[in-house]
Amino acid sequence: MGDENTVLATAEARHFLRRTRFGAKPAEVAALAGRTRGEAADQALGFPVSKKIFGGRYIDETQGQWFKYMTAKTTPGLQEKLVLFLHDHFATSNAMVDSPRFMARQNGLLREYCRQDFRALTKRINRDAAMMEFLDTVRNDKQIPNENYARELLELFTLGVTDLNGNPNYTQADVVQIARAFTGWRYVSSGKAYFDPSRHDTRAKFPLRGDKRIFTEVGGFGPGGREFDDQGEGASEIDRVVDHIFEHRDSDGEVTTARRLAARLIEFFCHGGYAEAAVVKPLATEVVAASGFDVSWNLGALTRAILVHDAFYETAGTAPFGSAEHKSLSWPADYIASTLRLLGLRPHGRWSVIWGGGYRQVSEHAQNMGQSLFEPPSVFGWDWEESWMTSATMLARFQFARDVSTARSGSSTSIFDPARVMDLTLTDGGAIVDAVVDACGVGGLFSGAERDVLIEYLTDGAPAAPVDLSDWDTREGKLRGLVALVLQSPACQLR
Amino acid sequence: MNTSRRRFLQQTAAATGALGGLGLFGNPFVARALADAGNRFFVLLFLDGGNDGLNTVTPIDDGSGTLRADYEHFRTSLRLSTSELLPIGTDPLTGAQLGLHPALTGFKNLYDQGRLAVVQNCGYPAYSLSHDESRRIWQTGQRFNGAGSGWFGRYLEAQGFGPLDIPGVTLDRLVALEFGQSATSIVALKKIKSFGFPYDEGFPDDDTTRRAAFDALYAMAAASLQPQMGILGSTGGATAAASSSYPPLHGLYEADRAGWSAGYEELDTRLASDLREIARIIHGVNQGVPGVAARFFQVSKRGYDTHADQGAGRAGGRHSELHREVGDALELFYNDLADMGLAESVCVLVYSEFNRRIEQNWNGTDHGSQGPVFVIGGGVNGGIYEAHPNISPAALDDKGNTPYTQGPSDPWRSRDMRDIYGTVLKHWLGMSPATILANVLATDSPLLDPTQHWLNPNFDLPFL
Repeated sequence: MGDENTVLATAEARHFLRRTRFGAKPAEVAALAGRTRGEAADQALGFPVSKKIFGGRYIDETQGQWFKYMTAKTTPGLQEKLVLFLHDHFATSNAMVDSPRFMARQNGLLREYCRQDFRALTKRINRDAAMMEFLDTVRNDKQIPNENYARELLELFTLGVTDLNGNPNYTQADVVQIARAFTGWRYVSSGKAYFDPSRHDTRAKFPLRGDKRIFTEVGGFGPGGREFDDQGEGASEIDRVVDHIFEHRDSDGEVTTARRLAARLIEFFCHGGYAEAAVVKPLATEVVAASGFDVSWNLGALTRAILVHDAFYETAGTAPFGSAEHKSLSWPADYIASTLRLLGLRPHGRWSVIWGGGYRQVSEHAQNMGQSLFEPPSVFGWDWEESWMTSATMLARFQFARDVSTARSGSSTSIFDPARVMDLTLTDGGAIVDAVVDACGVGGLFSGAERDVLIEYLTDGAPAAPVDLSDWDTREGKLRGLVALVLQSPACQLR
Repeated sequence: MNTSRRRFLQQTAAATGALGGLGLFGNPFVARALADAGNRFFVLLFLDGGNDGLNTVTPIDDGSGTLRADYEHFRTSLRLSTSELLPIGTDPLTGAQLGLHPALTGFKNLYDQGRLAVVQNCGYPAYSLSHDESRRIWQTGQRFNGAGSGWFGRYLEAQGFGPLDIPGVTLDRLVALEFGQSATSIVALKKIKSFGFPYDEGFPDDDTTRRAAFDALYAMAAASLQPQMGILGSTGGATAAASSSYPPLHGLYEADRAGWSAGYEELDTRLASDLREIARIIHGVNQGVPGVAARFFQVSKRGYDTHADQGAGRAGGRHSELHREVGDALELFYNDLADMGLAESVCVLVYSEFNRRIEQNWNGTDHGSQGPVFVIGGGVNGGIYEAHPNISPAALDDKGNTPYTQGPSDPWRSRDMRDIYGTVLKHWLGMSPATILANVLATDSPLLDPTQHWLNPNFDLPFL
C-alpha cells in the first residue's frame, strides 16, 4: 500500500507523466523518478488559474489552436487533461451551437474552473451561451417548458440516472419542475445570459403545475423535498436548483454528485474497470472523504487524492502479454497531442496542417479517430476505453502515425527530424529500437518479442548487423518506418 | 529477397496463423450458418434521437375511435393536415385511415409495392425517457445491466463467427452496440475507398516488410490474455485485413453499377452515401470477392431529437428534412438491390430509441414511449401491423405518454420490440426459437413487466 510519500520508480514516473500531460519525454521521466507521489501531484497541479480563450472564425481553426496550445512548452499538461475531462462531462457540440466563439468561451470557462469549484462551474454552465443553445434553454418557454436541459443536468452533469447502489436519483416529476426553473433564460448577442421574467413560468400563472418542489421521493430530503423558489421566484431559481442537487444524497447517505464525479474522474485517470459501480464505489467514497470534495467541491483537491492513490498506479505495470491486469486505451486527443509533443512537431499555419501522407488538418485526424473536439457525438460525450478502438478509428491512427513520421518536406517546425529526439550515431539495431521507443514515450512498455519484431524490421532480418543511420535510405526509409511502426503499435495505443 | 527476410515473414505467418484456424472459410459452424441463412442480408437503420412517431404514421380520420380528434387536440402548431399526409392503409383496431409524413414519399412508394411493413406501438416495459438508457435497451434487447453485448452481437456469437471473420460492418467510426460482443470482428468504416493501409509512399520497396512487422505485432496482441491488448490485437488485425480486401469494392461497384452510383450522388445526403457504401459491399459479396463476407450492416441517421423547431410537415422544416433524407435514400437503396436481383435477399429494420411526447411543447416535442418500427424488403409482407397507440387524454400515463401494456384482452396492447427481433432471427435468419430465447433475447424481471408477457414471446409476427 502506497501513499503520497511513496517514491516513484522510473516506470511510475513515466506513467504519471503520460496521464497528467501529453506524453513523457525521456528527460522528464528521469527528472521525476525518485520524487514522491505527493510531490509529483503538487507539481502537476500547481499551475495558476488560466483564462486562456481561443479564437478562430471556423471551428476547425479553434480545434487546431487547442492542439497547438496543448502541446506548447509553457502549457500545464494537467490543466488541459482536466479541460478535456470537463469538455466530455459538459459535452456541447458546435454541430448544434454553430458558434466557434461561444465554444471557445465555454472552453475558457472550463479552463478557468478546472481545478476549482465544481458547483460554481455548474452554475456558470447553466448560463453558458453554447450550452443554452445546445440543450434548448433558449427555447424553453413558460407556455410548455422544454425538458431537455433539466434532464441532462440531472442525468449527466450531476446526479446520474441511478446512484452507485443502483437506485434512481430522480423522477420525471423532478425533471418537469426543474424545466420550469429554466424558463425565460436567453442570451444577448455577445453571449451574456439574461433572465426574461415575461417568459418565466410562475406559480401564479400556472397553479396546476404544482409547487416548485423537487426530490420529494429521493435524495434524502424527506417527503417535503426541496423548494427551489425558496429565495423567491425568478432568476435565483436555477442557482437554487443546483444547490439542492449538490445536497442530494445516495441511498447509503453519501453526497451523490460528489461521489459520481469522483467515480468519473477515477475512471478518467485510472482505467475502465472503474466504470462498474460496485468496483468504483468504495474508492470514490474514499477519495471524496480524503479530499473533502463534497464540501469544498474543489476539483484540484479531488484530482490530488486520486493521483496519490494506489489505484492510479495500477496500470503503471509493464507486462503487456498474458497478464490480466488492467490497461487503459488512449483518447485520440491524447494520442495526437502526445505524438506531436514528443516528436517536436507543431501543426502548420492557420489551419493546423499535418504534413505528409494525407496532408490533413489536425482536426480532421482527430475527427477520423473519433474525437472531434468541440463536436462530441452527443450530450453523453465520448465513449471511452475500447469504444475508441474500431477499425475506422484505428486506421485513422495508423494514417496519422504514417503522416507525422514520414513527412520529408514542409515547414521545418512541422516535420519530424529524427536527429531532434535521438542519437543518430547509434549502430546497434536493439539500441536504435530502444531509443525510438523511448522517444515515443513508451519505453519499457514493449515485450521482448515485440522488440525483436522491430529489430528484425529495422535490420531487414539481420539483427546482429550494424545499422548505418548516416545512409540516406536507412535513415529516411527504415528509421522513419520504425517510428511509424512504434506509433502504430498496440502498445502505443495504451495510455 | 534475402534469406533472413524470408525467415522473418515466415515467423509472421506463423503468428498470424494461430488465429487463422478460426477464419471464416475453415469454420464449419459459420459455413453451416451461412447456408441456413441463405443469401441474405440484414440492415439496421437507427433514427437517432427519438423519432416523433405520431408525426410519422398519423391518423387522417377517427375510424371507429377518436384518433384524429385526439391528435388534433395535442398537436396544434405541429399538426399535419389531412390533405398533406400520404395515405397508406387503415389502423387494424379502429379502422382509422393512416398517413405517412408528407416527406416520406420514399416509404409511400415502397408501401404501395407491398415492400414496407409498419409495426405500430413498439416498445418495452417500464420505458425510459433517457436517450442513453432507452437506446441501450433497444440495442441490447434487455434492461441494460452494464454488459456490452448487443442482441445482434449475441446472434453472431451463437453462429460461431471467429475473430478474423468480418460478418458485419457499421457505417460509422464507432461500432453500434447492437453488434457488441467479443467473439468476432465488426468493421467500422465511413468510406470504403479510403480504407487502404497507410504505406509510406516514399519507400514502396519497404511495404511488405513493414506490413509484416505490423501484422506480427498485432497478432501477438490478439493472442494476449490481457483484455485491452486482446481488443487492440483483434480490431487492429481485422482492420489491416479489411484494408486489403475492402477498398477494391469501390471500383468494382463503379464499374458495374455506375448509373446507380450517380443516383445516390444526386440525392447528395449522408444517409444516401452510407447506404451506397452498403450496396457496394453487398455487390462485392454477391460477386464472390475474396475476403469480403459481411452480411449485416448498421447505419444511423442523427438529428431526431426534435425538442425544438420540429416544423410539422413544412418543407425545409427539421422533421421534414430528416424524413425526406431517410425515405428517399432507402427507396433508392431498395431499388438498387432489386436491380442487382437481390430484393428478396435484403431486409431493413428502421427503429428509434423512443417516440415523442403526445402533447407538443412550444414548437417541438419531448421524450415519449412506444413508437412505430418499419421493416423493408422484397421478402417483407407489406402492411400495417398492431394498433396505433391510444392517444386519448385519459389513456396517457402521468408523464403524458402511452403506457406499455400487454393485457391479453387489451385491444391497444403494445408490441414488445423483442418480438420483432425474434421474428427477424427466426424467419429471416433461420434461428430456432429455443436458441433465440436462451441465447439471444434474455427474459425480463417480473418487476418490470407484471403481465409477464415475455414468458410467451411471439416470434411469428406476420410481417416476415
